Amino acid sequence: MKVTLNWLKEFVDISHTPDELAHALTMAGLEVESVEKIERPFNAVVIGEVISCSVHPQADQLQVCRVAMGASEPVTVVCGAPNVAVGIKAPLALPGAVLAQNFRVASREIRGVASHGMLCSEAELGLTERSEGLMLLAEEDARIGADFNAWLGEADYVLDVNISPNRPDCLSVIGLAREIAAVSGKKLRRKEIVLATIAGTITDRIRVVIEDAQHCSRYSGRYLQNIHIQPSPYWMAYRLHHSGIRAINNVVDITNYVLLETGHPLHAFDYRQIAGQKIIVRTAAADEPFTTLDGKRHLLDAQTCLICDADKPVALAGIMGGLNSEVREDTQTVFLESACFEPIHIRRSSKKLAISTESSRRFERGVDPNGTVYAMDRAAELMCELAGAQVYGEAIDVHPVVVEPQIIHITTERINTLLGTQLTESEILALLPRLEIECTATEHDAFQLKIPTFRPDLSRPVDIIEEIARLHGFDKIPFSIRASIDQSQTINERIAFQDYLRRLLAGLGLRETLSLSLVSAMAAQPFLPQGAKVVELLNPLSTDWAVFRSSLLISLLQNTAYNRNRQSTIQRFFEIGNAAWCENDSHREKKQVVGILAGETHEPAWYDRGRAFDFYDIKGIVLQLLKACGLASVRLEPAADSYWSPESAALWYENTCLGAMGRMDESLLAAYKIKTRDVFAFQIDFDVLYAHHLQHRLFVPIPRFPSLPFDIALLMDATIPVGDIETAIRQEGGPSLAGVHLFDFYQGEQIPPGKKSVAFSLTFCSRERTLGDEDVTPMVDHILTHLKAHFGVELRPR
Amino acid sequence: MSENLQKTLAEIARIEKQCQSLLVTATNLQELEKIKSDFLGRKGAVQALFALMGRVGADEKPHLGAALNRLKETLQAEIETRMASFQRQPMAIDSFDPSLPAKLPAMGSLHPILQVMDEVKQIFTSMGFRVEEGPEIESDYYNFEALNIPAYHPSRDMQDTFYLSGQHVLRTHTSPVQIRTMETQKPPVRMIAPGRCFRKDTPDATHSPTFHQCEGLCVDRGVSFADLKGVVQAFAQKIFADKSMRVRFRPSFFPFTEPSAEYDFSCIFCKGKGCRVCKNTGWLEISGAGMVDPAVFGFVDYDPEIFSGYAFGMGLERIAILKYRVNDIRIFFENDIRFLEQF
Ligand SMILES: [Zn+2]
Repeated sequence: MKVTLNWLKEFVDISHTPDELAHALTMAGLEVESVEKIERPFNAVVIGEVISCSVHPQADQLQVCRVAMGASEPVTVVCGAPNVAVGIKAPLALPGAVLAQNFRVASREIRGVASHGMLCSEAELGLTERSEGLMLLAEEDARIGADFNAWLGEADYVLDVNISPNRPDCLSVIGLAREIAAVSGKKLRRKEIVLATIAGTITDRIRVVIEDAQHCSRYSGRYLQNIHIQPSPYWMAYRLHHSGIRAINNVVDITNYVLLETGHPLHAFDYRQIAGQKIIVRTAAADEPFTTLDGKRHLLDAQTCLICDADKPVALAGIMGGLNSEVREDTQTVFLESACFEPIHIRRSSKKLAISTESSRRFERGVDPNGTVYAMDRAAELMCELAGAQVYGEAIDVHPVVVEPQIIHITTERINTLLGTQLTESEILALLPRLEIECTATEHDAFQLKIPTFRPDLSRPVDIIEEIARLHGFDKIPFSIRASIDQSQTINERIAFQDYLRRLLAGLGLRETLSLSLVSAMAAQPFLPQGAKVVELLNPLSTDWAVFRSSLLISLLQNTAYNRNRQSTIQRFFEIGNAAWCENDSHREKKQVVGILAGETHEPAWYDRGRAFDFYDIKGIVLQLLKACGLASVRLEPAADSYWSPESAALWYENTCLGAMGRMDESLLAAYKIKTRDVFAFQIDFDVLYAHHLQHRLFVPIPRFPSLPFDIALLMDATIPVGDIETAIRQEGGPSLAGVHLFDFYQGEQIPPGKKSVAFSLTFCSRERTLGDEDVTPMVDHILTHLKAHFGVELRPR
Repeated sequence: MSENLQKTLAEIARIEKQCQSLLVTATNLQELEKIKSDFLGRKGAVQALFALMGRVGADEKPHLGAALNRLKETLQAEIETRMASFQRQPMAIDSFDPSLPAKLPAMGSLHPILQVMDEVKQIFTSMGFRVEEGPEIESDYYNFEALNIPAYHPSRDMQDTFYLSGQHVLRTHTSPVQIRTMETQKPPVRMIAPGRCFRKDTPDATHSPTFHQCEGLCVDRGVSFADLKGVVQAFAQKIFADKSMRVRFRPSFFPFTEPSAEYDFSCIFCKGKGCRVCKNTGWLEISGAGMVDPAVFGFVDYDPEIFSGYAFGMGLERIAILKYRVNDIRIFFENDIRFLEQF
């Protein structure tokens, strides 16, 4: 809420500087976002009165005016403003004056006529950004010859206060003034309303019926006649302007002004347009059409609360008036509404119709149900004063639901326990009345509190404790260090395991990335499991961020592309995070462990040129990771998903698929505009890995006897996987076979076509004794016999 | 003493002298290796002397044996000393160039935001908090309702939410984890929930639609606002490793806490004196906190007459920005290697 400092000063004495005030309010929970001085970038301007006017002899659009300025002689001024006329008062800049944008006023000849000054518009004075015609000073206190700056009053500031949704009372000048009074220990000055009325029976003119008492708890109104619609005086337009509301005419401006001052929304109807002298508050019929005063047509639903006359709706209750009954230039009689509507209802309708107004913002937060009459009479008073209105008869006040002040009981002990303070009874009794909370001590250290109805946020003892803390000052609450320890507290193993994996992967040379979870639907599609759908945002920021990522591979491919576009040639990334998709209309979230290698193993170096990454690089990282998690025997099977190229494998542990690894599909890489083919990745389901990881390791004794190596070179069919041979060796090697290591692999010249040559280094070791050649030879012979029988593998002479 | 023994002892003395003079003149390790094998090798001079044991009588054998062993030990020690003096010097002086670039092993790293998260977890774990997590796709109930943010309440406007079908949202904070934890655990509860959150904010230097938060909660008998202030101040001093860090609480509003506060840390750039970063206030806004609203306890079946608690939040990006003096939040999510390799 934006408000000028001088407006606040009408209700409370302020001794703080504007910055001090902003700080004090902020520390009391009303965050002041900015304090801006209202600039008056001019000097040497007085109030002048035009005493004669004649058309410039050389130019039709210009007037040659004599302007009186008090004690000294009137001056001649040439003026081109459309609203210049005899008898008007306006700011007169004298020669030597400086106006907005550093415009210097001097005596000069304008097409042959000497002009000794300038009559000014608000824009020329820098008071507004734009204006039409001269600034007219209709006010009686605008004394001719007086210094214009002095007439404007003391320097003023705009405070922009961020009001939290629980404080509707502070969406008003009085509410803010009350807070300032409470914080500074000053008194709030209320305005007495003096309203003269013309005798009459109001029901002769209008009757109000509330049919929808659920949404409208109170409806007050007044009938005002003899109104003269005209522009508002400067002070009112000025305050509205600085609160962000455009001045329209005196009647509309007064309803807005009182809304800002009291926080209570009002609406003025042109009485001529109200058919049947009747106001009915009812719910709309389904699809009932209605055109609001901004000219927009809406189709309502059967829950919308409407203000109607005998024939038709005339306003959307609490939100906006209708085009059919708005106050116009020729309006003479006004029906003024001051009602109270139910917050949730207004919120719902406002959201549904996508109309948010100063009025709806207040109703949806909750206005004071007992504030209708004060606000209405304040507006009526101003209409009498500024629009010549006459108040006819008594006020209407239909009041089906009466809201009484809430009563809250609280004890000093409860307050101090929750805050960790040692406040006394008298300290508490000194604080609460500042907020107009009536306190009665019921017994020692216990109070009964009567809460004003403009504070809907105070309904429980804890709400009062907050008020006390706020006024006492959060700063004065001590910092406590509690030493109690909860012995039952445990470590979250799942998170600890995730952190273990992160450190392992960093140790394996990968850099951890952290990517946005949102991707395009097109990016998510290829990674969806069979039959799944994307998790779609109903209100995305853009199509690039329209769905939840279906795999973290998307993120790593994006990160790879991003870096390759920036001349980086090697990418080694990993990320652990959630992917999601929709299965049978329910959202499934999966935590994934994902890594990628793209490009070259390393930059060409003086000792080694480097090479492209290959399948065995990613396999190495995955197997080291799994080994460190205690998953030593992992089975490889063909990977089914289309985002893998044929150079890939699914990872199986017992009967569960952990994920897959391999070269990424080429067309997928093209979609990410990654120009290298050498992109290898793995994707592992975190929870599957977590479920199978070795939680507790047991020591395996280190052999006491030396081991004996034995190398074998084999010639085998090129079609047989080396892994099958290795597995067979391990199975047939007996308990003394401690290690099998492939140290050579060759295919090509010197090898018969369709064959490959492999060489294994076998290590034998016994737990009982030192083995000799005579022990190992039969074991090797057994292995070789088995390999020959089952795989046709021959021993290759070396 | 027999003549044979005398001759053999003289031979021993000669061999010793010969070896020693050769050692003095040796200029490199290869020469020393040769001397070692010539004298101490299996077919070397010392071994040959042992073959002369047969020349002397049984009574003289121990004497000769001792002399031979002494020779062997002496030469062994002298050769090794000499070798060591050579080995300490580089071998191939002309081809060795230590200024050639290192053979760098591939280096991994952890993301700076997650390093901050690790630190936050460590600090709170050391203060007795358990780390909890929850889903990123949340139901409206956990993200709003149970946190006392009913439908059609203006406080829903405080966060711009991404909506999904079926009354689900991308969680706007990690506070739902509080509810999930309290549903399954009776007080005392002391937990933090670090994790990813989402808000419909157009990305700029200070906003990202994906960001990370850490929420904390402590519920027990007699937990007070002063405890909240104490724990947040302890955290501030630990995360910035500065005992002089101060914390300021300002009243605020959150639907799930009452009283609610915003908390600020004393400016790490100017130590609270006032500078451009803190807009001359001496304070940096960090996040929100407060005492758990009794309405929230109602949703998880805790008795607010018996238990009270505090909750606090913090943005991990905010802390990382301050810690590393990063000036644009978006750089955290670009994953540029030139950025990642700095941490
Ligand atoms: Zn600073």
